[in-house]
Amino acid sequence: MNNSIRFLRQFVLIALLGTIFVAFTMSMNELQTLYNDFGQQYFFEEGLSDTGSRNLVTAILLDYRLFDSLFEAGILLIAVSGVIWISKHDIEEKNARFMIDKYKTPDLFITFSRLVYPLMLTFGFYVIVNGHLSPGGGFQGGTIVATAILILYYIDPNKETNIGLIVTVEKIIYLLIIVVASISLVTRGTFFTNFFDPSHDADTMAIYLVILNVLIGFKVALGLWTIFTAFLKEGR
Amino acid sequence: MNPILTFLVVLIGFYGLSTSDNIIKSVFSVTIIESGVILLFLNLGNFQGGSIPILSEDLVSIVDPLPQALMITTIVIGSTVTALSLMLCIKIFHHYGSVKWKEVLARKDVKS
Amino acid sequence: MNQLAVVLVFLPVIVSIVIYLSKWRHMNIVAIASQLALTIVAVVYFTHFYGDFESTHIVLGGWDSRIGISLANDELSMSFIFLSLFSWWMVLIYTFRFGHTEHSFLFFLIFLQGVFLGLLQSNDLFNVFVFLELATIIVTILIAYNKKGESFRSALYYLIVNVPAMLVFLTGIILVYFTFGSINIVALTEQFQDVDDTIILRFSYVLMMAGISVKAALFPVFTWLPKAHGVAQSAISALLSGLIVKAGVYLFFRMNFLYEGAGFAYSDFFFIVGVLTAISGVMFALSQKELKQILAFHTISQVGIIMMGVSSADSDMFYGGILHTFNHALFKSLLFLGAGVIIQVYRTKKVGEIRGVFKTMPVVSIFMIVGMLSITGAPFFNGFISKSIIKYGLAEQGWRYWALYVINIGTATSFIKMSQIFFGPKTLSYPLKNMAQNVAMMALAFGCVLLGNFYIPFSEGFFGIRVEEFDLTSFDVLLDYGITVAIGLVFYFTVIARDLKPVRMIRESRISFENANLVFLIYVVALTTYFVFLS
Repeated sequence: MNNSIRFLRQFVLIALLGTIFVAFTMSMNELQTLYNDFGQQYFFEEGLSDTGSRNLVTAILLDYRLFDSLFEAGILLIAVSGVIWISKHDIEEKNARFMIDKYKTPDLFITFSRLVYPLMLTFGFYVIVNGHLSPGGGFQGGTIVATAILILYYIDPNKETNIGLIVTVEKIIYLLIIVVASISLVTRGTFFTNFFDPSHDADTMAIYLVILNVLIGFKVALGLWTIFTAFLKEGR
Repeated sequence: MNPILTFLVVLIGFYGLSTSDNIIKSVFSVTIIESGVILLFLNLGNFQGGSIPILSEDLVSIVDPLPQALMITTIVIGSTVTALSLMLCIKIFHHYGSVKWKEVLARKDVKS
Repeated sequence: MNQLAVVLVFLPVIVSIVIYLSKWRHMNIVAIASQLALTIVAVVYFTHFYGDFESTHIVLGGWDSRIGISLANDELSMSFIFLSLFSWWMVLIYTFRFGHTEHSFLFFLIFLQGVFLGLLQSNDLFNVFVFLELATIIVTILIAYNKKGESFRSALYYLIVNVPAMLVFLTGIILVYFTFGSINIVALTEQFQDVDDTIILRFSYVLMMAGISVKAALFPVFTWLPKAHGVAQSAISALLSGLIVKAGVYLFFRMNFLYEGAGFAYSDFFFIVGVLTAISGVMFALSQKELKQILAFHTISQVGIIMMGVSSADSDMFYGGILHTFNHALFKSLLFLGAGVIIQVYRTKKVGEIRGVFKTMPVVSIFMIVGMLSITGAPFFNGFISKSIIKYGLAEQGWRYWALYVINIGTATSFIKMSQIFFGPKTLSYPLKNMAQNVAMMALAFGCVLLGNFYIPFSEGFFGIRVEEFDLTSFDVLLDYGITVAIGLVFYFTVIARDLKPVRMIRESRISFENANLVFLIYVVALTTYFVFLS
């Protein structure tokens, strides 16, 4: 009896998913004729002269849709504070010891981590700084830097982290990002765009992109670092 | 063909959500749905083909850069959702000693 | 001048971060001051653009409006902005304690205000998605804020149910982007005026509506609401029930404005969903025994009534629905705040164990009674106005009218049950003389009475709706309300008070997590069938 109900449920579930799938396939067939590439053409033709960024993804993230990116960073900000709040123990501990057990981590891994760590850090910074020229940018590079910092915990499990300081710095950087993004109100009369107007050449406009990429990169790296640390503390 | 296959990933995620009783599995089902949506968006951006959206001298056509930019946002959102839900999972496990929805939802609240 | 729209979003965000970083114990005064500044900005903005909302449209960065993100306001979003400012005022005042600041709490609370104001003004579909996700995450944290087991599980349930729905909404945006090359709502509205009726358009509507329905807690995807609203702190519950649920309703308006040109928006489907939502909400509310659970289920039923109103664009019911959104925000916040005080004093949530509230706290009781009269639709209180407008719209329509009537009787019965807490002798002394809480409740109660009597200038000033044509003061309406309450009383003493078996069954029915997701899929398929396959 129970088995047949489960079978029936499974059948209904598959049928439901199938119906949605059919509707989706039908709409995809129509897309062959309806496909609209207005945005694609616009970015291809205007992207470089508008924003000074060769990487059009960065151009969109840091200029055309900077408002989104600010709140994207804001989500991370909220998640960091939220994870810390939820994981906070009743007894305040400043220097938590982590669950990583030095004797269980292979020596080979630790040695290689020591070798890889500076490379990862350099690569992360490279990705952040060159976000407007090559694939990458603040969000991607920040994640790489945060991963490098995570490896640091394997090298030295007794490492002490002052979470309060990191969180403070992260919040201040977020305020700085908002300030840098708003300078354009003074120079160009509108919020959230490059503070050089498009009459400048691409190299000048890139100053703004690099500043913002670096700030976002640091913010993301610090934010993810805090989240990792909160999880490591929780696992003890 | 590709967009349709990626939509299957979304549906697999929903299948997981509606068959699994395990909290951690449902968190990962959400992650799968999100990956499916991201893949779908990127795939459709490549609908007409083209090279990567980094301008150089001899480019003829590029893929749509907007989906890629939007999907970075979605990835960040997804990772924070995952982090937050896993942290809540840990807390739920500490409070109820179980990661099954059925047991966790049925339990009367215990004094912590 | 129109750049002030950005200030409305970022002022709360920046202030919240400053509050988080500060260690000063009088920081809540800063929060109140910033709220005052925000209100002044909003009033200046509103008076400047009153009558000419076309020019509020700004594209951030000054790009082509099809490329950049734009913010725009109209009567609807402005009135929602003032409603949210008012709700946040109430929560800030209610939680105000001199010389004692909860920095994290204020941080999340005020950040949420910035996000919500952004959501209301945003004119870009993906931006709306980002704000919705951000609001979902902050609300999750606020639900879990108590750090009890119950709040953790409700928060996770809320998150896991809402995030897939939001991703479904995002899929709808994806389809729109690739068919029209833009996700700007104003640009799309123009394009939609002469669009061909295609499957892809209809399917994108279905996906968006499915996502929004979960946010608005419609039948049958409301399972997260009573869990979340029942366990949060009372101030947060008031905010969630009064306002945050309305984010879904607001987006329902927005998306239907958008798809209006395509010709299949505002359909009967959502009327039926509204009726089912209202009836199921009332049914569950009748069976519950906990104060906050009853109120949470009544949020569902009231959202159902709102949906019944707004499901058709041309009739007066639509305005009734919009007005009810505002009225519900007032009286539901009031009831939750009052319930919070009562639970705080009696240390129990069970309706059956609370007695003698009227003797113990007469002031709070009067506010609660105002809220109850409003929600049941008593004449001269605000709930009555909007319910009557919806009722007039349905008057000639057979079963639809009676459905609303049944819902009203259910609501009356449920609050007759709740009113038993007032009777009985004084059992406790009420040592808490928290003025701030009373001030917040008094403002809300005042708002309920004010809107109930001076609704004509209000609705004209904000929406340009003329409501004089409705005769709302005759003897008939009093009689009507009397009959509703009388039937409610009979129903209460014959069925609910005896706790008959069906009532117990409804109370004890649980839907498992997997089945809740299955139900969501059924809902999506029902929408797909109605809008795509049967067209």
